Amino acid sequence: MTLLSVQNLTVQAGEVPLVKGISFDVQKGEWLAIIGQSGSGKSVSASAIGRLLAPNLKAQGKALYNGKDILQFGAKEMRRLRGTSISYIFQDYQGSFTSFHTIGRHFEEFLKAHFKLSKAQRREMAEQALESVGLQPEMYTRYPFQLSGGQLQRSSIALALLTKPDLVIADEPTAALDSISAAKVLRLLADLQQKTGCAMLFITHDLRHVRKHADQIIVMKEGEIVEKGDKQSVLDQPQHAYTRSLMAASPSLSAASQLLKGDDTSCVYCN
Amino acid sequence: MTSRLTINRTRATKVFLSAFLILIAAIAVYAFLILKHDPSFVDLNERLLPMSWQHPFGTDHLGRDMLTRILLGFQLTVGYGFLALLLAVAIGVPIGVIAGFKGGLVDRLLMRVADAFLAFPDTVVAIVLSGLLGAGIENLLLAIILVKWVNYARLARSTVVTERQKDYITMAKINGLSEWRIMWKHLFPHLIGHILVLASLDLGKIILLISSLSYIGLGAQPPAPEWGAMLNEARPYFQTVPALMIYPGLAIVTVVLLSNLLGDYLRDKFDVKKEVAE
Ligand SMILES: Nc1ncnc2c1ncn2[C@@H]1O[C@H](COP(=O)(O)OP(=O)(O)O)[C@@H](O)[C@H]1O
Ligand SMILES: [Mg+2]
Repeated sequence: MTLLSVQNLTVQAGEVPLVKGISFDVQKGEWLAIIGQSGSGKSVSASAIGRLLAPNLKAQGKALYNGKDILQFGAKEMRRLRGTSISYIFQDYQGSFTSFHTIGRHFEEFLKAHFKLSKAQRREMAEQALESVGLQPEMYTRYPFQLSGGQLQRSSIALALLTKPDLVIADEPTAALDSISAAKVLRLLADLQQKTGCAMLFITHDLRHVRKHADQIIVMKEGEIVEKGDKQSVLDQPQHAYTRSLMAASPSLSAASQLLKGDDTSCVYCN
Repeated sequence: MTSRLTINRTRATKVFLSAFLILIAAIAVYAFLILKHDPSFVDLNERLLPMSWQHPFGTDHLGRDMLTRILLGFQLTVGYGFLALLLAVAIGVPIGVIAGFKGGLVDRLLMRVADAFLAFPDTVVAIVLSGLLGAGIENLLLAIILVKWVNYARLARSTVVTERQKDYITMAKINGLSEWRIMWKHLFPHLIGHILVLASLDLGKIILLISSLSYIGLGAQPPAPEWGAMLNEARPYFQTVPALMIYPGLAIVTVVLLSNLLGDYLRDKFDVKKEVAE
């Protein structure tokens, strides 16, 4: 079943087109990867879908979520959608948290905005969410700067999955992490996706991240989709020269994933 | 090497600041607890007395105790300066935050108004307004607020415009928080440092403005012990008893200097040199 259907999406900065009429579908529960070198318009496309574009950018086209066009949503509908159905994970985990507030306060505010729960219930839910990404509940009272990069990214994943969204848009969530933390976060995301059954729109410039988890792959170049299809066909028989050059540029299995290959899942979450 | 120098300089500033504060506090305690003079008590038998234990700074042309008047002047000049500053911040910052956060038409409208205010130099606006509304410290305050709020609105706006792009704001939006909440709970804390620095640098300027306008008779009126007004009152005795002008003059210089030092110290602490320079 189609969850999100992007149709002929265009994003312009004034007269300059940044995304040039892309179309793709995300099915319920699938992992769709968008790859392309930096500057190819991946983030801009993802922001357009969540109506998060910078004020100087304008989006045209359609983004149908369960048949309704997100680009036409009013402020109230948008707030509800963002809170409960679509969530984001960003590359810059440091910047994703307000430095003056504890991790817990971010959860608290979020839950308060969307649910009628008692203070104790909110706290419990937040601590459970932290545990579900392999963090100690004590992190609730910590400030962002007191956590490591991997821990912060885990917290933002916990926050993103808190309301059981149907679609998670992850914009290079591992690009700013060292390769071991990155591999762990990636595996955590895959696990949680399995558990919750959410769809994943996973943006990356790194083919290694795609090999393992993706179901579908979209290749973007200069604001256009140059190739799309299921993982096997794109990786095994790339049609476009650009895809082949991306594959040539990507090293095969990295040392990090080699390292992680043998260990058991119980250690996936340790830092 | 450079870092050691900076540390020493900050420490020197700290020592300097605290020494001054202690000195002023000591003098105030001495004047108010031990001497107990009435600042507006006129005693023509005691005119223009030189320094003594009874009158450490002497007396003025009406026989009033100078030290008491200088110290009360601190309350008046600095107090009013502070009040003006506080009100300017209270008006300017919300306007700037809203303009920066909302963008679009609201932003353009508010910033055009700010530009209009910015087009006239402080002193000119203050003089014209005091002239129109009549001399008096309240009108002078009004004039200063009207002139100064613009700086805070602009600083708040430019900070908000840069912060607005950052992920934590996007994140807060995604999490469905209300705009109000994002503005005051997430954005505002980032502003405070910048505002504090600008404010402490402004305090000196405002004090100078109050004193200079009071000196030319547009601000505080005699017999209020405002330093600028005191300078004015002391003018006829400039040749015979220069101390009458030196004390209020020194007081102004000291306070302005201290507020600039405080500003520098805060600026180093928050390291926002660029924004303030703009
Ligand atoms: N707010 C903006 N205004 C103008 N151009 C932008 C803006 N944001 C991004 N761009 C441009 O859009 C293009 C695509 O950017 P982006 O989607 O971030 O690439 P990536 O694929 O690396 O995520 C880049 O050339 C970038 O310079
Ligand atoms: Mg990007």
